[in-house]
Amino acid sequence: MSSHLKTWPLSLFLGIVSFPLVLMYVYLVIDTITVTPPGSIIPEKFTLEDWRFLFEEATGRRPSIWSVTLNSFILASANSIVIVSISATAGYALSRLNVPFRSFFLAGMMVLHAFPTVTLIVSIFLILQMVGLYNTLIGVILVKASLLMPFGVWIMKGFYDTVPWEIEMAGVQDGASRFTVWRRLVLPQVQPGFLALGVFAFLDGWSEFILPQVLAPSSDVQVLSVYLAGLIADEFYFDFGLFKAVGLFYSVPVILLYLFFQDKLMNIYGGGSKG
Amino acid sequence: MRHQSDRLGLAFLTPALIFVVLFFLSPVVLTAVFSFTTMSTATGISGGTYRITPSAVRSAAEKGLNPATAERLSQERYTIDDDALTRATKAGIDAEILKELERDLKGKSTDDRRSFERLLKKLDNRPNRRQVKSISPHFRTSILNQSFEDRTTLDATLENLGLDAAERARVAETSYTGWIWTSANFRRMFLQPDTYRILINTIVYVFTTLVIFNTGYAMVLAIVTFYLPGRQATVYRTIWFLPRITPPVIYVLLWKWLAWDTGFISTITGWFGVASRNWMLDTSLNAWVFVVLINGFVGASMGMIIFSSAIKTIPESLFHASAVDGAYRWQQVRHIILPQLRWPILFLTTYQTLSLLSSFELIFLATNGGPGSATEVWSLAAFHLALSNYAGNLQYGLGAAFALILVLIGITASLFYLRLFKFSEMISKPRIEH
Amino acid sequence: MRIVLDAVTKQFGAVKAIDDVTLEIVDGELLALLGPSGCGKTTTLFAICGIHRIDSGRILFGDLEVSGLPPQRRSVGVVFQSFALYPHMSVSENIGFPLQVRKESKAEIERKVDEVADLVHIRELLERRPAQLSGGQQQRVAIARAIVRRPDILLLDEPLANLDAKLRLEMRSELRRLQKETGITAVIVTHDQVEAMSMSDRIVIMDDGRILQIGTPDEMYHRPSNKFVAGFIGNPPISFADGKVEDGRFVTEGLDFDLPDRIKKASVTAGQNITLGVRPEYLQPDFATPIEAEITFIENQGREALYDLTLAGGHVFRSIQSGEPICKLGDKIRWGIDADASFFFDDQGKRI
Repeated sequence: MSSHLKTWPLSLFLGIVSFPLVLMYVYLVIDTITVTPPGSIIPEKFTLEDWRFLFEEATGRRPSIWSVTLNSFILASANSIVIVSISATAGYALSRLNVPFRSFFLAGMMVLHAFPTVTLIVSIFLILQMVGLYNTLIGVILVKASLLMPFGVWIMKGFYDTVPWEIEMAGVQDGASRFTVWRRLVLPQVQPGFLALGVFAFLDGWSEFILPQVLAPSSDVQVLSVYLAGLIADEFYFDFGLFKAVGLFYSVPVILLYLFFQDKLMNIYGGGSKG
Repeated sequence: MRHQSDRLGLAFLTPALIFVVLFFLSPVVLTAVFSFTTMSTATGISGGTYRITPSAVRSAAEKGLNPATAERLSQERYTIDDDALTRATKAGIDAEILKELERDLKGKSTDDRRSFERLLKKLDNRPNRRQVKSISPHFRTSILNQSFEDRTTLDATLENLGLDAAERARVAETSYTGWIWTSANFRRMFLQPDTYRILINTIVYVFTTLVIFNTGYAMVLAIVTFYLPGRQATVYRTIWFLPRITPPVIYVLLWKWLAWDTGFISTITGWFGVASRNWMLDTSLNAWVFVVLINGFVGASMGMIIFSSAIKTIPESLFHASAVDGAYRWQQVRHIILPQLRWPILFLTTYQTLSLLSSFELIFLATNGGPGSATEVWSLAAFHLALSNYAGNLQYGLGAAFALILVLIGITASLFYLRLFKFSEMISKPRIEH
Repeated sequence: MRIVLDAVTKQFGAVKAIDDVTLEIVDGELLALLGPSGCGKTTTLFAICGIHRIDSGRILFGDLEVSGLPPQRRSVGVVFQSFALYPHMSVSENIGFPLQVRKESKAEIERKVDEVADLVHIRELLERRPAQLSGGQQQRVAIARAIVRRPDILLLDEPLANLDAKLRLEMRSELRRLQKETGITAVIVTHDQVEAMSMSDRIVIMDDGRILQIGTPDEMYHRPSNKFVAGFIGNPPISFADGKVEDGRFVTEGLDFDLPDRIKKASVTAGQNITLGVRPEYLQPDFATPIEAEITFIENQGREALYDLTLAGGHVFRSIQSGEPICKLGDKIRWGIDADASFFFDDQGKRI
């Protein structure tokens, strides 16, 4: 664009304002594998000492990192599976089928989609206590998935909207039921959407902090975010190297998924406009 | 047959509706319900019992219970009834004496031990002093510190003590240990001075973050990356997208590393002889700067994406035409790009006002409202009151009242969006009608 | 199969997309639904195949009323404007899909797909994906998929609109061949009168949700029932001039001639408003009823030439003549029209 105009001042400007951000991320990696003497920012020697937590057994104070990781993985995958499978049908119904009160449901999903969910945390906490799902992973999963559901349905509806009507018309004309049309003709067209939403929901579940912190704090159901926050908050334990090592360990799946699905994720974040 | 796709539609929609109703809509309604209760850690969340503690009696007296009645509630009494007789039989008291008590004196009760023992001594069986001493404890009753499962049993007992209906109601009120309906939460919310402090904090926080980062800086990012060559633009967009994609706990950890007393800033300033300190929490101003930066960096990425795609839709011919006209870059930005961004800005502002208003996760992790309560915002206050405070008594009802305000704002704002973004025009009818 | 639409009405909200349409499609014919966009022709097509529910009236396939039946239970093959091929399936899977949902055996499907592929000449494309096909090939696949299960009727929605000009000519005759060879009853929706004229047995002209005229292409051209039909059919189009009847003559500014006998007999009254319609081929240098005008436009198409004649009163007539242009722009000429072959319309637009 406008190549006769100089771009280096712009580049320089962005370079300067981006510097602190880049610095933080670079040191996230550096600090986990080096020792830096106090009062310096230059690492002195290489070490893997900070990664010892990977091999520690569970103690009374802290559960083992692997059981915590497994919990995080269960929360994230369950969130992803529930969101994708339920949005797949609901999004289609709202996009294409003659549902009674369809526009009411559409408006409802839209309102809920814009609705700030954290405000509900107080009553959700009380509800989970009443129904006995407090301090269980399943409770967190159900709540997390429900709160993300309107967003997922809305996004999925958007994907279905892009499938040409004539494909469906051709399908019913060929004698297929609406269900068959959906499964055999429409679903394959929105597969990229599924993938994107699935990855998004996985990351969303993986990153979630407030819900598990409030709804499932006990150590056997702890997830990585709560574990890490607990480490940082622990007064007796102050070791940035360790925090960062756990943090890096925690963010590896995020970074990998992000690198693989960057464009699709940006689409969802931009198009869905949540956050 | 006529409604084949209707039924499929309902079937397809039902699972989502179940989820949404159970954990989305019902919390909305219950937030309102809970906000009108006194629920707290002390009352528990299920119903309570009636427990006549000395303090319950005292506060009943304060609320106008006849002092004599209050005195009677606190006193021990000696009553000859079935319960006491059974207790005494089990304890091996002489059956003859008990038989006589049951026959002649059942239902009688006295206010003190002396008169009860006088009654015993007058019995035909003539129990000796030792026997009298061993009998009387079994007939001693006190309503104090007794628990009653429900109102009926409480009432029956109080009636025996000769309390009238008004007095019984008063005692029931002060002795109930569960939660009750009340509008006191809202009174407290509006009356306590902290509320206004929190309100001002919230407005400052939302406004500054929104203006500086979520729209202002986001626009700068979108425009600057638009003018940069493709690869550089991608790199910068990726960098500025990192805060959004990074799990909040780690993201805030990075900021702490930057700001804490052993962190990066302290190290650098230390070289110039500045004593190391926690830059994030040492003054209110610093805390605010960090709160706005932390939230703003995340918020900027969203605007960047939306503005970038809006700029992308501007026909390239417009730029070439203006380049020929000799318009400089700034003129391009002013006259071509900014007008195009008007609608996205409106969308983003309305949308992110709501998310900023209700999000407290990052603040909770970074400053937790501190130092003092300098950075305590509305949603964080609701969270603190109801789910996380140092005193240990979690005030669910009051917290719900705080949350309810946000819920109401959320509902109003969402409905407003529907109108603003012309929802009715977005609905198109299904084209296959059978 | 014979298809009957009996007083069919379809509304979208307050708008009547088709209004009291009655139409019989004869077994084995190719019928064209012709009209400008928004005239209701596609809605009629969708009503026949069952995608739209009709609000009143009946639709009969043979003797069976299908008005309440969903598309799946009507035996209708449809070729959509965009072809609507299933992008994730190969050509043979696309064609086999209607048979597959009917749970026919693999061998049977394969046999029928091969058969129909031979018919539409796409035998060598069967393993390809739709994205790898040209527009014309996609069109053939769409037709094959529509006819593979031998439907009662074949509907084609603007089948040539998405093809380039050269392919359009080729597919026009190809479609006609296929329809003749299979003997299937077919309805084709088009806004292009040339397509309708050249392909169909009969044409239905629609405007504003109503049928204006049903007839063979020849009838449409030579005996249009009203002004709209006369104006819609014919390329280059007919020229109109509003005038009055005076003393058995057609009178307008710059033109004044004796009405043909058939018009006089048709009880026109003096002073009545009347519109003259002259097709370009009925305005020639040596025709009987004289017309004096200035040449204001000439288009040389090689084999023939097109002239615009502007009369003194401002009316413009068009003439088409074979050969090179015989005059030049600005010439004042005195040519003639064939009054007997011209049309006259009353003030309602009906042909007299």
